[in-house]
Amino acid sequence: MEIRPILSALMRSKVSMILIGLQVALTLAIVCNALFIIGQRMDRMNRPSGMNEADTFTFGSNGFGQGYDAQAVLRSDLALLRQLPGVADATNTNTTPLSQGGWNSPINLQPRQKSATANTAFYMVDSHALGAFGLRLVAGRNFKDEEVMPMDQGDRIQPSAVIVTKPLAETLFPDSDAVGKQVYLGEDSPPSTIVGVVERMQQPWIDSSTIEYSTLIPAFMPYGNYSRYLVRTEPGRRDEVMKAVEQKLAEANSGRIIGRMRSMEQTRADAYAGDRAMAIILGTVIVALLLVTALGIVGMASFWVAQRTRQIGTRRALGATKGDILRYFQTENFVITTIGLLVGGVLAYALSLWLMQAYQAPRLPWYYVPVGFACLWLLGQLAVLGPALRASRVPPAVATRSV
Amino acid sequence: MLKMTHLQKVYRTHLIETHALRDFSIHVREGEFVAVTGPSGSGKTTFLNIAGLLEEFTGGEYQLDGVDVHGLNDDQRSRLRNEKLGFIFQGFNLIPDLNLFDNVDVPLRYRGYGAAERKKRIEDALGRVGLASRMKHYPSELSGGQQQRVAIARALAGSPRLLLADEPTGNLDSLMARGVMELLEEINRQGTTIVMVTHDPELAARAHRNVHVIDGQVTDFDSEPALRAGSRESGIGNRESVQAAPVSP
Repeated sequence: MEIRPILSALMRSKVSMILIGLQVALTLAIVCNALFIIGQRMDRMNRPSGMNEADTFTFGSNGFGQGYDAQAVLRSDLALLRQLPGVADATNTNTTPLSQGGWNSPINLQPRQKSATANTAFYMVDSHALGAFGLRLVAGRNFKDEEVMPMDQGDRIQPSAVIVTKPLAETLFPDSDAVGKQVYLGEDSPPSTIVGVVERMQQPWIDSSTIEYSTLIPAFMPYGNYSRYLVRTEPGRRDEVMKAVEQKLAEANSGRIIGRMRSMEQTRADAYAGDRAMAIILGTVIVALLLVTALGIVGMASFWVAQRTRQIGTRRALGATKGDILRYFQTENFVITTIGLLVGGVLAYALSLWLMQAYQAPRLPWYYVPVGFACLWLLGQLAVLGPALRASRVPPAVATRSV
Repeated sequence: MLKMTHLQKVYRTHLIETHALRDFSIHVREGEFVAVTGPSGSGKTTFLNIAGLLEEFTGGEYQLDGVDVHGLNDDQRSRLRNEKLGFIFQGFNLIPDLNLFDNVDVPLRYRGYGAAERKKRIEDALGRVGLASRMKHYPSELSGGQQQRVAIARALAGSPRLLLADEPTGNLDSLMARGVMELLEEINRQGTTIVMVTHDPELAARAHRNVHVIDGQVTDFDSEPALRAGSRESGIGNRESVQAAPVSP
């Protein structure tokens, strides 16, 4: 490896080296941090909600006109839904995970507790919720039909039984089994007994810091004349059932409008649209930066090959093999890239520190920079390969050609 | 040392075929200083390129220091060039971004010598051309004559069996040219065989022997009697065997 003479030759033409080195440095710093941010967003987007999203959809029923009995319609709708072909189960619910809207309330171990033990989202559902959402019960039991009480907006939430998620159960009762224990959902509410624990069910808000703390409340609770339903279909029949449901429910009761029909996959896509956009934008920036850097290296190396054709011929005449010429340009690229990467490594950590201070971003894990080193070394070597191969094909007879 | 017999070099394009060398025969013995002269386009440079293994030939035989070079692959030719030959170019062909030490070091690195061996050879070679004190200078800081001396040092550093010089004084004024020529004569006296391509009859006259090339053939030669006798005995470079031949379209 002739690193020393290459380095000393490069020091005689500093501008090109500095420009490409700087480009490599900035690319490393930005790509490392952008990749880290993308990774975080992807992790966030890939968090399981706890429910079956592939085969479920939600919709709303909005009654109008005088004499509309929302409680009665709710029950008849559920009965109708559960009989439809392709429907595996259905429940009423005030909200769903990923919907970004719902109720959040303190959950306490004592009545009139001053500071909340935890904050939880409420899902007002009936005894079919576990089946409709596709939740996994890990302890206790499901709601009994008689525990599901009719509620209206403004009613105090005071169920006799609740089902909580496992993370919430472990927070409430870290040292013992939560099933059978009592909790308080409101300041003056009577106690509710935890009758079951589900493995996971996220809150509706994707930015919640307590996203895994959810509580199922057994209640038939329309919101005025508005009811919301969640249906799980047999695998692969969701879209077909969505159409049938809209038609059948409209036929069953013409005094309301069926609307806001959305699959849970759509709901997830909408919830994480911002994250996905951020990942796509950053991904585009990364690709563009890598492309520009690679093209910069190709351009510089091509220029140097053209500029040094006679020099290459002279080296060949003096005994360099094609492989020696190829290695020369690869080594030269390695030297420039390494200098850029050393600067870029410092820049990457500095940028991470700034993001931590300005945006409370987490610290860039240390291994991003060495992995970035390896990737940009590889990129540099691939980019320089074409010009280097061209250089290796310069015939030694070029050395004796007149200028 | 260098023996070409009935050598042919044809450049072909899809339209024309150019015979750069035809039936070209020459024998350079160890220790000789041979000047190859001829007008522009006569084939001098083609001869030098083939002699220096910079180009391949299309027919005939060529033996370099006893090695039949026909059929050698590119890497083998590179290695042979590096081990047996030293080049001096008209334009010096120094690498402008390397100092004198590193310039002379170029062929030695390809030879695979260790650092200590290379350093010794570089210092010796630069010492021989009187530039030992300027090792850290760059070519642009030297005169043309000094640059050619560096090129000679670079050629000598690897202890070549044959030195090939392509118009070595072509870019120098007469004073510098004389100095370089004296240096080449000194190197030859110390035992290195030299083949020098030149169109300068004064320089050619200082060589042991002149080989004149016209239209790709050896058309004349002049040498010391002993060497000429040897050459005639081998039937190479024979005046009678040669005719001027037009370049074929």
